[in-house]
Order: sequence, then C-alpha cells, then structure tokens
Amino acid sequence: MITHRKLWAVLTALMLALAVAACGESKDDDDSGGGQSASGKDCGKVVLNEQAWAGSTANTYIAKNVLEEKLGCQVEITKLAEIPVFQAMADGKTDAVLEDWQHVDQYEQYIDKAGTVVQGGPLGVEGHIGWFIPQFVMDDHPEFKTWEGLKGEEDVFNNEFLGGDPSYVQKDKELIKALGLDLKHVTAGAEPAQVARWSQAYKQKKPVLFYWYTPQYLNQEYDLAEVKLPPRTDANKDCKDDAKEGGDPEQYKCEYDVTIINKLFSKKFADSGSPAYDVLKKMKLTNEDQEQVAKAIAGDKQDPEEAGADWVKDNQDKVDAWLQ
Amino acid sequence: MAVASGRLRAPAFAAPTSRFRGRGAQALGILAILVIGYILFKNEYSWPASLTWDELPRKLDDAQDWLLEQRTEGSNPFFAVLDAFRAFCDWLVTALLNAFEWITWVGMLAASTLIVLRFGGWRAALITFLAFVSFALLGLWEESIQTLALMTAAVTISILIGVPIGIVAGRKERFYRALTPALDAMQIVPAFAYLMPVVIVFSVGPAAAVICTLIYAIPPAVRITALGIRGVTSESVEASQALGATPTQTLLKVQLPLARRQLLLALNQTIMFALSLVVIAGLIGGRGLGDVVTSGLYSNPALALLAGIAIVIMAIALDRATAAIADRTDPARRQLTDDGRKRARKITLATLGAIAVIVLAARALGADAIYPDEFETATTVFDANIQSTILGWINDGLEYIQDPASFIFGITDPVGNFILEKMLQPVQNLLMDTPWFIVIGCSTALALVLSGVRPAITAFLMLVAIGFLGVWEPAMDTASQVLVATAIAVVIGIAIGIWAAESPRVEKALRPILDTLQTLPQLVYIIPFIYLMPVSLVPGVVASVLYAVPVIIRLVTNGIRGVPAAPVEAAEAFGASRRQVLGKVKVPLARDSIMLGVNQGLIMVLAVVVIGGLVGSGALGDSVARGLQRNEFGEGVVASLAILALGIALDRVTQGRRKVQPGGGAA
Repeated sequence: MITHRKLWAVLTALMLALAVAACGESKDDDDSGGGQSASGKDCGKVVLNEQAWAGSTANTYIAKNVLEEKLGCQVEITKLAEIPVFQAMADGKTDAVLEDWQHVDQYEQYIDKAGTVVQGGPLGVEGHIGWFIPQFVMDDHPEFKTWEGLKGEEDVFNNEFLGGDPSYVQKDKELIKALGLDLKHVTAGAEPAQVARWSQAYKQKKPVLFYWYTPQYLNQEYDLAEVKLPPRTDANKDCKDDAKEGGDPEQYKCEYDVTIINKLFSKKFADSGSPAYDVLKKMKLTNEDQEQVAKAIAGDKQDPEEAGADWVKDNQDKVDAWLQ
Repeated sequence: MAVASGRLRAPAFAAPTSRFRGRGAQALGILAILVIGYILFKNEYSWPASLTWDELPRKLDDAQDWLLEQRTEGSNPFFAVLDAFRAFCDWLVTALLNAFEWITWVGMLAASTLIVLRFGGWRAALITFLAFVSFALLGLWEESIQTLALMTAAVTISILIGVPIGIVAGRKERFYRALTPALDAMQIVPAFAYLMPVVIVFSVGPAAAVICTLIYAIPPAVRITALGIRGVTSESVEASQALGATPTQTLLKVQLPLARRQLLLALNQTIMFALSLVVIAGLIGGRGLGDVVTSGLYSNPALALLAGIAIVIMAIALDRATAAIADRTDPARRQLTDDGRKRARKITLATLGAIAVIVLAARALGADAIYPDEFETATTVFDANIQSTILGWINDGLEYIQDPASFIFGITDPVGNFILEKMLQPVQNLLMDTPWFIVIGCSTALALVLSGVRPAITAFLMLVAIGFLGVWEPAMDTASQVLVATAIAVVIGIAIGIWAAESPRVEKALRPILDTLQTLPQLVYIIPFIYLMPVSLVPGVVASVLYAVPVIIRLVTNGIRGVPAAPVEAAEAFGASRRQVLGKVKVPLARDSIMLGVNQGLIMVLAVVVIGGLVGSGALGDSVARGLQRNEFGEGVVASLAILALGIALDRVTQGRRKVQPGGGAA
C-alpha cells in the first residue's frame, strides 16, 4: 500500500508541476487570439483551413505566402473536415476556407439563416467531373471524343468502367444504363485505390475508362482525355448529378454540371477590417495554377511553403492584382 | 466490449453438452433452407416499402438544425453548462501541452523514461525511450506531443467518469444491466455518426476531440472496473462486513485494493480505446498525428502511413508501460519489507530529483520546447534527413506493391480477386437477394438452436428493426462482409490457435505479434490495405481479419489448454494418436471456447468493416461516413442504429448457451 500511496504523491506532484508550468505559459498565449483590430494596416493572425486534398493545400499555401510576405500577417492553418469547418467559422475559430465545393445545405444554415459565415465569391477554380481515358487511347480512337463513339466499342475497355471513390458525387451506373452502353461498373474503393487501378493500366499502355475530375494534380502527371457526355441544354435542365437519390436512370442522362468553387469567410473575420480579408476576397486562381502547385506538393513532394512561395514569385502580376 | 474481453484471459470452459452434435446438424439444415430459399425466390421479395419508417433521417436532420439554431441564439442555459465543460477540456489539453513544451523535449524524454523505469522496469522504460526517439527521428515530435496531451486529457476524464460508474455498477447488478445497452451503443456506433452534433455543441478544437474520445473510451473503463469489483470474492466482502466495516470502508479497504489489477487494466484499455479515436479527432481540430493521417490520406499517403506508424509506436509504448507499471507495483507480488519500502521511497525521490535536474538543466541550456527541425535535417542517412529517407522508402514500397509487374502484386491481386469473387459476392447475393422473411426466419432459427429462446427473440427483433429503418439491403451487404471476414479469421484463428496450444514454442513466438496486433488502432489497419489490395471491398475485409484473429487465437489456445487432463489421458491410454486426441477429444471439448472466439470475432470484425466504409467498402459504413462528408446526418445516424442492431443480432445468434460475462457480452 505504501507504494500505492507514493504513486499518488508522485502523480500529484507532477500534476502540480504541470499546472504551475501551464499557468506560467498560458499567459503568453493570451494575446494571440486578437490581432484582428479594425485599423487599416495591422493584419495580425489569420486562420485558414486546409482541406484533405492536394489542391486545397496548394491554394492555402499560396494565400499563406502572400499574407505573410506582403501583409506581415501571422497565418495559422487548421485541417478540419469540410462540414465541421462551417461551425469553426461560425465560432470564429477559422477565418477562411478558400476551396468550398458548394455545400448548399450549409450555405442555407450558416450563411442565409445564422449569418455567421459569409460568401467570399468564386476562387476561379472550377470543379468538373467526367469520364476520362488516357490520351494514347484517344489518339488511336478519335471517335471516343464523345460517348456515342463508345457504343459498340466497349470491348476496347474490356467492357469495364472504373467508378469513382464511393463517397464522391456520381451517377455513372445510371448514365451507363441510360446511354445503353455495354459496360460493367466496377469500383476499386477509395480514391487512392482507384488511382492505383487506372494509373497501372496507363503505365502498361492499356486502355481504361474511368470516373475522374479536375482540378486534380495527377492531371499534370498523366496525359488524360475526356469523353464528352450528353451536354446540358434547356431541354434537360432538370438533369441530376447525384444518383444517391435513385429513381429513373433517364433523369441522370447528361454531363456533370460544373461546380463553382467558392471562398467562404467567417463573419467575424469579414467585419474585422483586416487587410487580409480584402486580399483573400480578390484572390483568384485558375485550374492550371492550382494543379501545378498541387503537383509540386503531392507529386514531387516539395515543401508546401516553398511550392506556394515559388508560385507567388512566378506570378507576381496575378498577386499584384489581389493586393490592389 | 470485444477488445476489452479479448485482452482478458479467456475463461476455461467445462465439458461440452452432448446435444452439440445434434445442434450442428440442425444449424446446417437451417443454412440449407436459406440456400434453397435463395434459389427458388431470388430477388423476388425485397423489403416492402410499406414496412419502413423513412421519416427518421429527416427528423434527425431537423433535430440537428434545431440544435444549431439554439446554439446560434445562445440563450439556452443548457449550452452554458456545456460551454463550461468545453472550456474546461480546452484548458486541460492546452495546459498539458504547455507543460509538455515547458519541460522541453529533453525533459519530456527524460521524465517519461525515468518514471517508467522507476515503476515499470527497464524493459518498458527502453520501449518508452525508443518511442520518443522514433517520434523525433520520424519528424513527428510536435504532432506526437499534441496527441499525447489530447490522450492524457481524454483518458484522465474518462477514468474520472468511468471508474466511479463502474464501482457502482460492480456493486449493483440491476444498475449494471440497465447500463449495458448504453455502453454497447457508445462502443458500436461509429464516431463518424455523432461528430457533427458534437461540433455544433462544442465547436471544433481539442474539446470536441476529447468529448468524442470520451464517448468511446468510457465504456471499457466502466466495464472493467465493474468486472474487477465483482471479481472480489464474497468471502472477503462478508469478512469485512462481519468485522463491522461500513460499506464505504469495505469499498475502500477491501474491494478497491483487491480489484487493483482490474482497475489498472481499465486504465490500460481506456488508453487503447482513446488512441483508436486519434485519427477521427484530427477531423475536428484535435491536431496531432490524427491530423497528419486524415490530411495526408489522399494527397500524401506515405506521410499518412508514417503518422500511422507513429500512432502504433505510441500505442505499443503506452500499452507496455502501463502493463509493466501495473505488474511491478502490485503489492501482492512485491511483499516489501520495511527496509525495502524505505529504499523504494528513496529511489522514487532520486528519480524525481533527477527529472527536476534534467528539466532545469535543459531549460537553462536553452533546449527547445519541441524537438527542433534543425536536428532532423542535421541527422542524415544517405544524404537526406531521416524523415524524407523513410518517406522515400514508404513511397518506393507503395509503388512496388502497386506495380502490376511486382511479385507481391502477383499474390495480393489474385487473393483479393478471389476473396471478392468467390467469397464476398456469393454471400452478398445470398443475403441480399433471398427474400427478407427467409433470412430473418433462418437467423432466428439459428439463434434458437445455437443460443436459446431469449437470444432468438432479440435477434428477430433486431433484424426486423433493421428493415423497419429502411436499410435492409446495405445492412445485409455489411453482414455479408462481416460473415466472410469472420469465416476467414476463424479458420486462420483455429488453425494457429491449435498449433500454439500444442507447441509452447509457437505460442511464445506468437505473443509479441498478437500483442502488437491487438494494440493497433482500427483505422491504422485499413490504410496499408488500400494500397496492398486495391479491390473494392477487400481492404476492409482483410484489415478486419487481422484485427479479429489475435483474439480468436487466444481463445482457442486457452480453450484447448483448458481441456481437463483426464479425458486426454484416457484417450492416450486407449492408444489414440496425437492427431486423434486432438481431433476427437481436445477440439470437441474446447468447442465452447471456439464458439466464444467466433462470437467475439464477429463483433470485432463488424467494428472494422464499418470503418472500411471510409475507404470504399460501401454498405452501412459508407452511409455513416457520408453522414459527415456530405452532411447527411440523419442517414448516418440511421445507419449507425442499423449497425448496432446488426451487432446485437450477430452476437445473439452466435453467443451459444453460455452466461454473458460482464466484460465480454458485447452488445
């Protein structure tokens, strides 16, 4: 029992030591929360959220470089999941999300109803989902430019269509049915597995037809071509993209709609008068810009800080436009 | 639940009932009916839409919206209480982190090693030391310390809440029974389902991460504490009452000290459970290693794996350190004399002194709060720092594995395809296409034959509930993955288990491997298999097999070991060969243990298969993951309820005619 008691004594002593140390330390931390004073010049701390894909890392670090180098801000990065970050912005814990893929439900809840998050306008990057094949297959079969060319030649792809990550928006099973193609929809699972599948085929120079999207850094590494799906027209303007709702395949018979990617800001940040807000609001990137930096980070394993700095150095003119 | 009991020694079971052979035949008959039902009525009867209640998801979504509105308005006094708790959690994590950083990286390394050395012996101390060294060399020191602070806070609160509840539950049977369903739910419902409500109420940051972890880590603390309190023999309790001790005195002086080992096991298990939520905590601002895993999974898999390795190292070190401390400080084993006590006290003081001196010296010499980057870049192996060298190796490894021309791919790809085409798909078709009433009927009959009337009723109700929730098909899909994975795990587990029971050398060689496998957080299992076997459902299945196999091996080994000597000797006297003794005597006599292995395996597999939904295994796990990824909160909760119901049904069908033991009665 003696040792038992002693163990407690030790633990208590340690806890006390920890508490003392913590109190001593936390004072230094207190001043960091502010910094968003209403004065025109002082930038202070800005918290950006980096999402779990390379493109988001790219634009976040570009912004970080600009804010730190040109405005003298102190940029902090959170890595929250896409939906929880809305609450983080509402609570003022995260200031900005630079790449939001149209979370319409959240827009309604946080922007329209609660007013704790504000729209920051389009980033300029446009999300686009479609059916892709390696360029070398397109060279051999120019008829694959549109889906009609696939008809009767499905055996080129071994009658297989490689579906996307099951957590992504998709309607390919329905499309195959509605378009009357002789294809079997197969899935490899999560995105890394799907990439492993098609990139292997690519390296072996084998034809492969798969669900893919832009912006994506791998598009800089692999030469891919798109198979055009039936265009969206006034006639089919009710055409849907997310087949999770189920129902008649016919209602999905069109290409995927372009997704405008938005910047979002915490209301607190937008009202703070921080110069960082004006710059982030003007920030614009193209798919090319983003893929290029993302490839440097995810493909060539460059340090994100460096990759962001390199892009800023090479694109002074673009950055200057944000700073005006 | 499963894990907790798996780590306890399995009880040796008495002789089997003679009815078993008959039951086996009946079970086979029931399966035959299922197959006939499939052949005759394939795809003819799917769950009728009129028997579903599909408003639940929308109602749940509305509830979440309401929660958000209440939170935004900020007038509800209830939120003030929750806010105070959040502030406390945030403060605790930050304070711990600040303390860890205040004593500098040198102090952190010295303090943890020396404390473990003093109380846990040199082996555990060495493991602790090496763990910290590896965090430094992997370039993940800061993240590891953040995770450690988060874990310490979560475990402390879990113990503060869980142990008192466990003590009450250990003393009051009825309270324990009332509590069990809640504990089951807390452990089986995947964290993904309640991540968003937690974020709405507690915002993002360390507090939210701690609270999610609490939900998962409190149940083992409660269960094992209750088990420990109940395990104290009634003689001791009666003796103390006879001596006139008050209930409080009996608790403090008799029950708690005698349950000491179980209490420390509770601590150990709480730590392990808490660690398995680290990755998910990363999604809601928990920072640390979990952050690296979640953000790297798609864009930098090598780094995600590296962080996964660091989590594993931390899990092993914490497990060994707490186990060693529990062992070495056991008063029953030490039998200290007065002199010995005095010496022990001196050594403790010397240890504390040494830590204080090292910390102060480190601060005086200006050691950094965290292991400095310059050191990382300074220590080079083959012209690069260690982190990038290892990352390079991992990348090369991943490339090699995925290269269709490689040897490994030549094995993993066909194995993956075989599992998918010859095992998963047929079972999936059987369960999903057979009319639902035949599936429910056969499952209930199977529960009746194997486990008895009450379990059969429960299983029946649970399956009907799944249909009622409108998720019959995905639930059957998940069930098929669980069954296939369990079947594989059971075959491997029984084979290795028998081998280990027969050969002490094999058992000794296996022990560290099994220990390690049981220590790993669930998600860490899955990541490598996404790359190893890029065949849709297979990674989840293979990972869950690995997760469940150690427990099955242990239960089988213990079961065969526990076969009484008399029948074995009798058989040998009749001239039975070793193989005959094994096949005709030992295995039949160990049947109950093997059945327990199947039962525990099923529940463990279910947990991992559900996580597999995150990486594309589809079915219920997918709905749960989407609940967060695409904000389909209601759907996610419904899927979680179905998982819970499925877990209970699977447990009841296979539990056998045994008494449910407190630690092991998962669901």
